[in-house]
Amino acid sequence: MAAPRGGYFGKILEIDLSKQTAKTRLLTDEECRKYIGGAGMGANLITSKYKAGHDPLAEDSYIFIGVGPLNGTYCVSTRTSFVNMSPYTGLLSHAEVGAHFGNEIKWAGWDGILITGRSKKPVYLFIKDDKVQFRDAKNVWGKDTEEADELMKQEVGDLYARTAVIGPAGENEVPIACVIIERFRAAARTSTGAVMGNKKLKGIAVRGTKAVPVADNKKFYPAAVAAKKLAVEKEAWQGIKRWGTTGLLELKHWVSGSLITKNFQTTWYPDIEYIGAEEANRRFWKRHVACNHCPVHCMKYGVIREGKHAGLIAEGPEYETGGLLGSNLGLSDFAGMMALIEACDAYGLDAISTGGILGFTTECIEKGVLKPADLDGIKPQWGEADPYYELIKKMAYKDGKAGKLLSMGVKKMSEKIGKGSDAWAVHVKGKEIAAHDPRGDKGRAYSYAMGTCGGDHHEGTNPATIARWAMLNSMVMCSFVAGYPLAKETPGVFTAMLNPLCGWNMSDDEYWTTAKRIITLERCFQVREGISAKDDVLPKRLTTEKLPAGPKKDAVFTAEDTKKIHDETYSYFGWDKNGIPTDQTLKTLGIEYLIDDVREARKKL
Amino acid sequence: MEKEQKKIPDVMQAETTRRGFLKGAAAAAGGAVALAAVGPAVPKVAKAAEPAENPMYRYLFAERQNCTGCRACEYACSVYHYGVVRPSVAKVHVYKHKSVVDVPVICWHCDDAPCIAACPTTPLAIQKDPKTNGIILNEKICLGAKCLKCVEACPALFIRVNPDTGQPLMCDLCGGDPECVKACLAQSGNPQGPCLMANKLGFGVNQAYRNVTPEEAGEDLLELLFYPNKTGERR
Repeated sequence: MAAPRGGYFGKILEIDLSKQTAKTRLLTDEECRKYIGGAGMGANLITSKYKAGHDPLAEDSYIFIGVGPLNGTYCVSTRTSFVNMSPYTGLLSHAEVGAHFGNEIKWAGWDGILITGRSKKPVYLFIKDDKVQFRDAKNVWGKDTEEADELMKQEVGDLYARTAVIGPAGENEVPIACVIIERFRAAARTSTGAVMGNKKLKGIAVRGTKAVPVADNKKFYPAAVAAKKLAVEKEAWQGIKRWGTTGLLELKHWVSGSLITKNFQTTWYPDIEYIGAEEANRRFWKRHVACNHCPVHCMKYGVIREGKHAGLIAEGPEYETGGLLGSNLGLSDFAGMMALIEACDAYGLDAISTGGILGFTTECIEKGVLKPADLDGIKPQWGEADPYYELIKKMAYKDGKAGKLLSMGVKKMSEKIGKGSDAWAVHVKGKEIAAHDPRGDKGRAYSYAMGTCGGDHHEGTNPATIARWAMLNSMVMCSFVAGYPLAKETPGVFTAMLNPLCGWNMSDDEYWTTAKRIITLERCFQVREGISAKDDVLPKRLTTEKLPAGPKKDAVFTAEDTKKIHDETYSYFGWDKNGIPTDQTLKTLGIEYLIDDVREARKKL
Repeated sequence: MEKEQKKIPDVMQAETTRRGFLKGAAAAAGGAVALAAVGPAVPKVAKAAEPAENPMYRYLFAERQNCTGCRACEYACSVYHYGVVRPSVAKVHVYKHKSVVDVPVICWHCDDAPCIAACPTTPLAIQKDPKTNGIILNEKICLGAKCLKCVEACPALFIRVNPDTGQPLMCDLCGGDPECVKACLAQSGNPQGPCLMANKLGFGVNQAYRNVTPEEAGEDLLELLFYPNKTGERR
């Protein structure tokens, strides 16, 4: 039960909002080595605290904001992980986000923040090293994320603090509400915003002044330098450096045939040239922005130049935001699209789910199963940005009939509307999927259907990458820097850093076992909530309708494809054919404490 | 405007790349402003065959609009001076203004050094190294938290306080070969080029640049970068 030797402070900050107390929970080296940090650590903390059927919005529900051992060290591009049970899907879910927030948590001397309880009145937290302040949020409550970010920094009197805040959507407990980090980055896909809103927690400002302990700096420093050198050298990623993920909009239209268009009707969208990277570069972008110590700087900020939103500063379009709120809505109006993206950021809505919901709604109107009267007289139409802007605003405030209906999400909307609308309701496990159409990009189906969170695009493209991504999300590193470009160097490049940093002797085998442990642990949580192979499937439209045009014309995600991803993934991780981890697997991975729960769940099948 | 991206300089070759870069920079002289406005300014990497002589740069310069806010300069500075990554004690820092623009905050090594003029101790706790132009703090003499006259005197609001000792953090230029400049160059290779540079001369502009506070610089950057001109040309 030794304390960690390096890479960790060995402390998690436990916040109880009901009692307004801050306590320290000590971590052992064993625990750190088993679950690493970030998504893995959060999955263990939350799974071990909950029983099956926990209410994700109960007072005793948890949010874990985690960092990994490499955060705050010389390592490149480390991030922050938000882990909680999502009130949207009822499943354990995690979201990783860039910018500097996570490193400030680490430099403040914490390996994570575990938040529970519910405040009586709105508060926000200011954490400066060991000091934790519960501050009255009366001035920031109700403000959008941009104003809240600025106001909080002014109020705490530290302009060098970094913030994570929710917008009006989170305050109104819209289930697709996200957390916005430093104004433009979103931890979006786990409904953390809704949970924070429920807890009356407007945000967190952090400033850290400490240094992360390193077990063997003589070995760690050169390893971290070498990892950075690799990250800089990988030529393939120079595209992300130059055009950000925006460049993928053109790529997925022209080459891979997986750019979602008009609620997944096709992947061929010639108008992409009006909303893609070239247009953005020519007419919108003003600067490149990097996360911590990152040589890639994939974020691009710009300013809208024309139309009613001229002068508005926005970030993107990212591939997902530009896909979901651009081609998915049939837009060719760049300024209009950027206004939608900025509206999602400002109100604190998950842009992916928002885009999915708007696309679904438009198709409902088109097919006549919804009338504009059901949407307070607003008539969404492919290619028209203004009605979408109105709908986003209504969703954020659950305002009127439209706001109440749309904020339910595609799954519940289609159940409520009926009339065969499930034929074009595109979601996995109750969550809208991202902008990669798995008919054109079949690897993405692993991420959507087999990944922990459901509908998430960033969980790997085959069983081995699911494992790789699990480690990245637990070390909380960026996949653009440490994931895609370093496939061949994994796990060597990471164990070379982790071992001297933490004083471990982790082998390649142990690295992969750890990855499997984290994924299986997350799976156990979902299994406990009733998830099995029947839920690991893609929606009807993607498995029955062929792509009508584009480079992947006639592609469809067949039943054989589904069987293939099931068989491969279940056998890789040691789960049975129903996707339930076996007793043997749980024993081998050292998470025996879940055997009873999983047996119980298996009986219910 | 979009030229094809030039080859990224090798991080590990920072020593030689920077020398190659400065040969070019010398021609551009004080007009580093002009240099950035032209667009891509990634230096050509001259693989110098001869061993690097000890460089001696006496001034820092920050091309503010090129900063991507990655904080590699803070990392490099704290690693060089303290052996650990710890931005709170870095002698160079990056201020994020309104979460939109990043302002590198550096010591301009003013020729009249208001910080030294404000220092009340005898002998002076802050002195300028005549050889390197670096500002050297004598920690034994410095009065620390109960004085901080130098912090008040700095027009650039550059000087921060070490959270451990309460004493000011002064930029010593790493003895003439600033680590932050090397780190920035290794990090760049972006369409804008590096932000931090080192020069042998201050050209007097350092005396003018120092009068801009980080927040003012942030407002200027917002204005400069984010408000399009009438013809819609990219700036």
